[in-house]
Amino acid sequence: MKEFASDKKSRVPAFLSFVVIALFYLAVFIAEQHLPATSMLFTVLKKGATYALVAVSMNLLNGFTGIFSLGQAGFMLIGAYTYAIFTIPLEQRESVYQYFQGGAVHFTVPVPVALIFAGLAAAFFAFLIGLPVLRLKSDYLAIATLGFAEIIRAIFQWNQLGPITNGSNMLRMFPNFNDFNIRNASGEVTVYLSTTIPFIIAGVCIALIVLLIHSGYGRAFKAIRDDEIAAEAMGINLAHHKQLAFSISSFFAGVGGAMLAMYQTTVQAKSFTSAMTYEILLIVVIGGVGSVTGSVFSSFLFVACSEWWLRFLDEKQMIGTFEVPLLRNGFRLVIFSLIIMIVVLFFRRGIMGTKELPDLFRRKTKEGIK
Amino acid sequence: MENNILRIEHLTMQFGGVVAVNDLSMEINRGEIVALIGPNGAGKTTAFNCVTGVYEPTNGQILFCGRQIARSSPSGKMRKIYAGNDASAFVGDSVRLSPDHVTKLGIARTFQNIRLFSGMTVFDNVLTAKHLRRKSNFLTSTLHLNYAEEKRMREETRELLKAVHLLDVADEMATSLPYGKQRLLEIARALATKPTLLLLDEPAAGMNPQETEELSAFIRHIKDEFQLTIFIIEHHMNLVMDISDRIYVIDFGRLIASGVPDEIQNNPAVIEAYLGGGDE
Repeated sequence: MKEFASDKKSRVPAFLSFVVIALFYLAVFIAEQHLPATSMLFTVLKKGATYALVAVSMNLLNGFTGIFSLGQAGFMLIGAYTYAIFTIPLEQRESVYQYFQGGAVHFTVPVPVALIFAGLAAAFFAFLIGLPVLRLKSDYLAIATLGFAEIIRAIFQWNQLGPITNGSNMLRMFPNFNDFNIRNASGEVTVYLSTTIPFIIAGVCIALIVLLIHSGYGRAFKAIRDDEIAAEAMGINLAHHKQLAFSISSFFAGVGGAMLAMYQTTVQAKSFTSAMTYEILLIVVIGGVGSVTGSVFSSFLFVACSEWWLRFLDEKQMIGTFEVPLLRNGFRLVIFSLIIMIVVLFFRRGIMGTKELPDLFRRKTKEGIK
Repeated sequence: MENNILRIEHLTMQFGGVVAVNDLSMEINRGEIVALIGPNGAGKTTAFNCVTGVYEPTNGQILFCGRQIARSSPSGKMRKIYAGNDASAFVGDSVRLSPDHVTKLGIARTFQNIRLFSGMTVFDNVLTAKHLRRKSNFLTSTLHLNYAEEKRMREETRELLKAVHLLDVADEMATSLPYGKQRLLEIARALATKPTLLLLDEPAAGMNPQETEELSAFIRHIKDEFQLTIFIIEHHMNLVMDISDRIYVIDFGRLIASGVPDEIQNNPAVIEAYLGGGDE
């Protein structure tokens, strides 16, 4: 009797992927202990992990359920604010909420709980928005969710909500990534965890999304993406499943927003613009719509290019006595746009297409046998 | 046990000024293969769509195993432009079930133009159709706590693919299959929802005579093996005459004949509808 992959999938590629990911985490941890904490590498890794989570959550909607939503920045904003509001230490509230007499919230919750709150708040709003909006299709849905994100941004800056959101002033002093470092009694850092912990948070969330995609619900989502009419005829309740995908995606966007708050150390509603959603959409498209690995990979690539590797293009560079022409403030963005165009031209379906990390090993092992 | 599986009563479906199905009444009994035939544009697929909940009928009611699955009467703007019969016969509580609900009750269908899940393998196409009989929710499913259920669903899928002779292509992408096999896969996917009534919308479309012959044997086979009642729309007369217990013929939305295959073959109204009438 011949064995089929659907009967017994070879576990080797999955195991290899797991090893690669574990080694990567280990490398991050070790690098963090030995390299200076101010290195640009860690900035990129922290922001990259944050964006990876948000990009994967967006991919769950756009790539796996076929719902074209552009509300990601709005849900990140809700997550970021929820996290900040519940974690600013009580003794700092007077100075943070200086125009609102210390604000209306007079308790704090531990960071992990606040992260879950951030997700739940975003998911709750997604549920409410989803009720009317998910009846729309493709472009119309995109515009409606984009509009929602803009409205949320305006509402959070509304002065009347000041005691909670601090109006248009920024929220700060809440625990950030650096507070994850373990310090001894005299305040010196003994174990650096400010990059490792965000990696673990993002890793756990992405793992949950991957598990969801590989469950029966994930298959139902893909069925809706491939053919709504057929999916419905096979007994898949469209409204229920779309609502579910939208809320779950927003949950993780909310957690991502909270991570972004920690990364930035401050939160201000006006920074969660639609440009942020486009950045994430760009990451998803470059990585491959329908590939979790692609989204993660291109997040780091995107952040590294925009924050680090191309920085030199913004400054005057001398080669010997020759001053390189064109290099001035803003030139980085020109090159960056060019690179994106080239990537899109040569990888029409993104860097990974719909492949995942284990698929890479699978192809290699097959070739090895031949 | 209720012998009557499907009963359509005075079904009328009007789109704007066009009456696609006009006062159609028919019934299907347990274990029968019933065909609905008629020239192009006669309203066959529209009738199917009313049964499966895709359309809300303008007037009439549909009962499945004695349970109302659709009931409505002309309302709103339609009340003024309604061109069918019995406008007041079904006034009162209207019933409208969504397609997924109808499928859950036990009516599965295939499509005239194949609608497989293109991004999935053959195996996953069938497995996905098992989702509606799940007992797990999204949390237990995500955390893979429904291991036993998942294993059972995979086993059943394998059985089903074996029954339709598609097990050897289980890992291929659904859309990479040849046309005839895609049709079989669509039937297998419909069977995965565990239906009592199977609706086949032109299953032989685009098949050559030999494939058509195999298909009629196949339809008989699955009817017995899965204890189905089958309601089929088809243009291939050989297939229809071969497998049907009874046939309904519609033209311009109206029922023009019904009976066993021999009666239909010699019915002048049917011949006229198919060959063109003399009054034009």
